[in-house]
Amino acid sequence: MSGSRGRRVVLPLAVFVTLVLVWEAVVTLLRVHPVLLPPPSGVALTMVGTAGPIAFHAWHTLVTTLIGFGAAVGLGLLLGFAIGGSATVNDALYPLLVGFNSIPKAAVVPLLVMWFGIGTVPAVLTAFLLAFFPVAVNVAVGLATLEAELRDVLRSLGASRWQIFRKVGVPRTMPLFFASLKVAVSSAFVGSVISETVASNAGIGYLMAVAASDFNTRLAFGGLAVLAAMGVLLYGIFAVIERRMTAWAYAE
Amino acid sequence: MTYVTAHGVTQALAGVSLEVPHGSTVAFVGPSGCGKSSLLKLIAGLLAATAGAIVVDGQPVGGPLKNVGMAFQNPVLLPWRSVLDNVLLPLEILRENGDPRAPALALWRDRAVTLLATVGLTGAERRQPRELSGGMRQRVSLCRALIHAPALLLLDEPFAALDAFTREEMWELYQGLRGQREFTGVLVTHDLREAVFLADTIYVLASDPGRLVHVHRVAIPRPRTLSQVYGAEGSELMRRMREQIRPDRETAA
Repeated sequence: MSGSRGRRVVLPLAVFVTLVLVWEAVVTLLRVHPVLLPPPSGVALTMVGTAGPIAFHAWHTLVTTLIGFGAAVGLGLLLGFAIGGSATVNDALYPLLVGFNSIPKAAVVPLLVMWFGIGTVPAVLTAFLLAFFPVAVNVAVGLATLEAELRDVLRSLGASRWQIFRKVGVPRTMPLFFASLKVAVSSAFVGSVISETVASNAGIGYLMAVAASDFNTRLAFGGLAVLAAMGVLLYGIFAVIERRMTAWAYAE
Repeated sequence: MTYVTAHGVTQALAGVSLEVPHGSTVAFVGPSGCGKSSLLKLIAGLLAATAGAIVVDGQPVGGPLKNVGMAFQNPVLLPWRSVLDNVLLPLEILRENGDPRAPALALWRDRAVTLLATVGLTGAERRQPRELSGGMRQRVSLCRALIHAPALLLLDEPFAALDAFTREEMWELYQGLRGQREFTGVLVTHDLREAVFLADTIYVLASDPGRLVHVHRVAIPRPRTLSQVYGAEGSELMRRMREQIRPDRETAA
């Protein structure tokens, strides 16, 4: 068990380090122009040199993402419970939701900027728009797939709809809810960075847009590295929370 | 006296009229689609009859009954709860609803442990449903159906998903429960042996529309043994029921 666990950490890490080394070697040996593709060592140096601004922008992106994500979880839960709990609400709203979700959200950013101006608000809203759908759908599915027999068992005890919802609906939906959180937080992250890239004055997306327009490829790669790390971290945190909260759904 | 009649129920079930004496167990057998499960839901008040009446304990059934325990082919246990907490679920509902049948909290655990012991699940209280075999899960499901001492136990093919030996064990277990607890049992099954072993009266239903075609009183004395069911008396009864069900299938096909 510990061996396979070690394998799962060591193998991808080894591949990653190898790729970075190959990159470094190729750039150095072929004398690639650093504006086109800087060596990883150069990127690392720039990151250390601009650690202060990078941290500021990373923090901004994180806060923006989490606000949008929080709102998305709230609305996603409400919508999911409504859709999963009522066939009428499902019939009325589900097709609209699916239609809405098929809009590329990046296309909405210009509208948001028009309404709210350049800055944090459109980024929060974009994060929110990308993140609420997976939560709502998973919660709705969890509620709607309640076994008919279980419902009968409870109804024949005189249980109200509210009791069935509380005692059975909510707990059995939790694994799906927590599974949706890690998807939603990644989506929110994508949303806030897209919006920052297009129209903001803070955040890693903004930093990268500025770096690219200055042909500061090192800094752009530095921003990318930070985004990758943040994305993995956010996903990882919610994956751990998921396992902790609904261990019964994963055991065996 | 528990008194159950269903009369003239849409196309699904028509002209079914019968009475189930208090404390007895009856079985409904018949081909798929003959309305066996619908009948069970009508009795429980989970479906409303379009015509006719269902009377349980002298009261017409107008909505879901509360003095009922139900178990199905799928045990539908709650995987996030231990065996004990699964069995206690009905008491939680009764207590929240201020039902006078909910015992004092202090008695709950004892009651569940005692009931689990009668189905051979002593020591399994803290285990999780996923750790149990199919037969054990079905026993837990039966305990959940009985924990609130319902007057009426409704079973919809409860043992159909179990292997043959486990199923026979469950029949004996049911027979044991009947000796210890007072309830009226209504069983829906495809398994004629199961009906012969468990029921005092067997109703044979036909489909399209679901209707009552034959009634058999099972004269084998209790407690019954498997050899009696597989013996001359049981075999003869099963042969007759099979003939009653089969022509119906052929005309339907």
